Amino acid sequence: MLIGIDVGGTFTDGVLFDHQQSQIMKTVKVPTRSQQLQSSLLEVLDNLLSGRDRAGIQRIVLSTTLVTNLLATKAGEPPALILIPGPGLPFSYLQIFPRTFIVKGAIDFRGRETEKLERQEIEAIVEEIRASGLRKIAVVGKFSNRNPHHEQTIRDIIGEKYPQAEVGIGSELAGQLNYLRRIATSYYSLLTRERWAGFAHDIEKAIQERGLAKVPLDILKADGGTMPLQHALQYPCETILSGPAASTMGAAAVTGQAATAVVLDIGGTTTDISLLLDGQPLYASRGARINENFTHIKAISTRSLPLGGDSPVCYKPDRGIYIDPVRRGPAACFGGDNATITDIFNCKYELSVGEAEKSRQSLQRLQAQANLDAAALLEAVENMVMVQLLSAMENIFSEWENEPAYRVWEVVHNRKFEVKRIIGIGAAAGAIVPVLAARMKADSFIHALAPIANALGAAVARPTLAFNLHIDTEKGYYFTDHDGIGGTIRKGAGLQMEDAQKLAGEVMQQLAQQRGLAEYTGEAEFTREEQFNMIRGWDRTGKIFELGMQIKPGFIKEFEEGSL
Amino acid sequence: MNNTGVIFFPAFDWAISPTHPEREERLLYTRDQIFEEGIMDLPNIHEFKPRLAEKKDIARVHFCVPNVDAQITAAHLVSAGSALVIADAVIKGEVDNGFSIARPPGHHAMTVAHGNRGFCNINNEAIMIEYIRNKYGLRKIAVVDTDVHHGDGSQEIFYDDPDILFISFHQDGRTLYPGSGFVYELGGPMAWGSTINIPLPPNTTDAGILRVLDNLVLPILEEFEPELIVNSAGQDNHYTDPLANMRFTAHGYAELNRRLAPDIAVLEGGYSVETALPYVNMALLMAMAGIDYSNLREPDYKSELFKEDPRHIEYIDQLISHQLINFRSRQQHIEENIKKYGREYSEHQQIYYDTDGISEDQSRRLRICPACPGWRIIDSSARHRNGKKYHVFCISVPAFACPDCRREALNAYKDVAAYNNNFDFVYLQDRANDRYIALDKAKGREEVYE
Repeated sequence: MLIGIDVGGTFTDGVLFDHQQSQIMKTVKVPTRSQQLQSSLLEVLDNLLSGRDRAGIQRIVLSTTLVTNLLATKAGEPPALILIPGPGLPFSYLQIFPRTFIVKGAIDFRGRETEKLERQEIEAIVEEIRASGLRKIAVVGKFSNRNPHHEQTIRDIIGEKYPQAEVGIGSELAGQLNYLRRIATSYYSLLTRERWAGFAHDIEKAIQERGLAKVPLDILKADGGTMPLQHALQYPCETILSGPAASTMGAAAVTGQAATAVVLDIGGTTTDISLLLDGQPLYASRGARINENFTHIKAISTRSLPLGGDSPVCYKPDRGIYIDPVRRGPAACFGGDNATITDIFNCKYELSVGEAEKSRQSLQRLQAQANLDAAALLEAVENMVMVQLLSAMENIFSEWENEPAYRVWEVVHNRKFEVKRIIGIGAAAGAIVPVLAARMKADSFIHALAPIANALGAAVARPTLAFNLHIDTEKGYYFTDHDGIGGTIRKGAGLQMEDAQKLAGEVMQQLAQQRGLAEYTGEAEFTREEQFNMIRGWDRTGKIFELGMQIKPGFIKEFEEGSL
Repeated sequence: MNNTGVIFFPAFDWAISPTHPEREERLLYTRDQIFEEGIMDLPNIHEFKPRLAEKKDIARVHFCVPNVDAQITAAHLVSAGSALVIADAVIKGEVDNGFSIARPPGHHAMTVAHGNRGFCNINNEAIMIEYIRNKYGLRKIAVVDTDVHHGDGSQEIFYDDPDILFISFHQDGRTLYPGSGFVYELGGPMAWGSTINIPLPPNTTDAGILRVLDNLVLPILEEFEPELIVNSAGQDNHYTDPLANMRFTAHGYAELNRRLAPDIAVLEGGYSVETALPYVNMALLMAMAGIDYSNLREPDYKSELFKEDPRHIEYIDQLISHQLINFRSRQQHIEENIKKYGREYSEHQQIYYDTDGISEDQSRRLRICPACPGWRIIDSSARHRNGKKYHVFCISVPAFACPDCRREALNAYKDVAAYNNNFDFVYLQDRANDRYIALDKAKGREEVYE
């Protein structure tokens, strides 16, 4: 038995799934109380568990907006930033956050120290931070992913001078290339860690109290994979955007095959659009965006529209008929006061959603205001909905098709997204998606479980991991972009691609142990295998390897694809 | 602040040969630097995806012997295509300016292409310029070649075109490949003065080059009034370049680009892959985007190491006044040339393809026309690397040719195609009609791009 709970902005959905029978045993939906996420979450959990034998529960997966909310409201005690940028962009471009201190010192792209740190300068800054009462410090250097020595040295100095401070360093928090994103990711990680730890502690305690202490508790990440709750303590920001991740994985789960499709999650207030390419979610090429800053957090690419089943359809003499992006309660057919998009589709296609008569009445009121006949009004609103959805979809396709390419074969083999299938999930998908699909001459697919596919997606998503390995045999070192893992390696040009792959495999094992995904390492695959001969004069003096390896998003072994 | 378009195309899967300077590794550290800086994330930097240039785009500029396919790889189409994407974005106004950081380079490739010269097979800038003229109708364009090597390919392609101002400053041809680019190379008889060469002594520093820019390049650009300025942006004037001997810095490159303010920059040479390219590419990008570059410098940069030799300054000042006089008297020279040469000007030349070891023999004729730039005939022969000798006849009609010249050129093509059996291939490059024909005489088959 698996439990998936998705704490969304409006509702918290839960599902109890019997994976052996491939059967949904129970679903629960409650409004989310944004001030007390825990209570909504536990209400759903208790509801799912009531009258069940707890021994049968094998896994609990949570997807939560906690960190998203923290970041949106800028809650949490802010960290100070000590940056070691060296030459390049002006420092003003790096001062993204208040309380940023810039120190001397520089590392280049090969990991060479090109300017030394000045201990006195650092000590003075640490003292200033201490005096100001800030308790968290993120230390982030340019090219620290090629040589973390400067970051580590500063961490040591803080350890001596201000041992109470909580310190995080960029090479461990976000080791991918891109200094601006490393700064943002490190900052947000430190900003949210404490609050997240409190939340995690509460949840763990609550789970224990319910006699589920031995059940693995996983958190859904922005990339559609899971990680153990314990691991999430280090990387809380990876839990952002897990709502769209849950939906996309849910769509893939109910579709049951490696489909290439558009996923439309149409809820009451918003529509989230994402893409599946051969069953794999498309990622945002620049990582998740937090408060307008790009980060190194791998996230599913999603377009969010303020358009949902409950969006009111309004009339004003100066604007005519329009769709209001602000939800004002449920659709008329579910007892609301306003005509909504659901009501319009309900009337136009005689869907018999809720009390259809109420939909008709709301439409008549609108007709009277706008002085339009029913057919014209329905047509006009449907067109508005379609135009919004189509243009957002076009936008996401063309962005994917036009992503930069760095290799000849990528340009020769141009990408083109052909919409063959649209998967609708979320409560309002049933009304809208078939109409949209017909317009696009694509198949529409709406599974009976569509309304709770998000919670199901969380329940069956498997752990993921993706890392990059940089090997420089001329300098004799390697580094990864995770946890600051690195080491030395035999110098010279003798290392072959097979050796590099082997090393990547070892790193994968090491990372997998810490992240509770050892049983999936067999499915790890290379996403990037580049090898550069270093020629100095006319001699080969070494090689640089760039390898990427991942356990991609998918489903846990216990879940049989296509069984739903 | 400018909105700047960028294509970064390092061609990580393409090399001339494994140890050649033009190899996979060339832009590796530039990638590291640009991506680590995060400059592509800035709201005023817009990264574009490259595309493949069409064969027709290449035939618009080159006579590829025997055909386009024989002279290119997919990488060449991408590199040329990158310049076209940037050109589209700039001219449509999607961005204020643009930089194509793509390889392989192109500025040594000449009109007739028998093989690879100076690491170049096809000329990215020339392909871009004729594309712009054809698609958008622009006519007057200036190319400033800032590579350390003389841009002999670009010079040759536009030598008879009075509407293209080609300016190249470079290390003196007596001391560096390709051994040309002297002061007296000023353009064909009808385009005299629209080619300006500035050979500089080895070890010239930022001060010397910026002196040339301020006192020669910028004034003549202002007088020429081009509709577009292109920087043929080589990076091998840098003090660490292994193939040349100049003393230019990343900061100097940034300063040059800020003052020149090119609409489009296209990467050319530059083979100091670790100590120059990461910084120079970054410098150019920052300068074009209007970002303060005072914090950008090479790790070993110390300003006191870069003092200009007073003798260089003296030489440069003489050069400047000499070339200003040449440029400003161009109309007068052209009028004299019309009297001197009448209807036709011809010359003979030999061209060496260093990379491929090919020697080409060329006779060129320009049909002089009072109403337009005139049309050209090139009779060329060369033995290719495969041992096969090609003798080809090429007719080129410029974009802004008059109807008489177009008719004459077309008739000439028909005559040679039908009656002359001396040639293996006969080509017609009719830019005015945007139609390009390659006739294989042995097979009697025409290949047409239109």
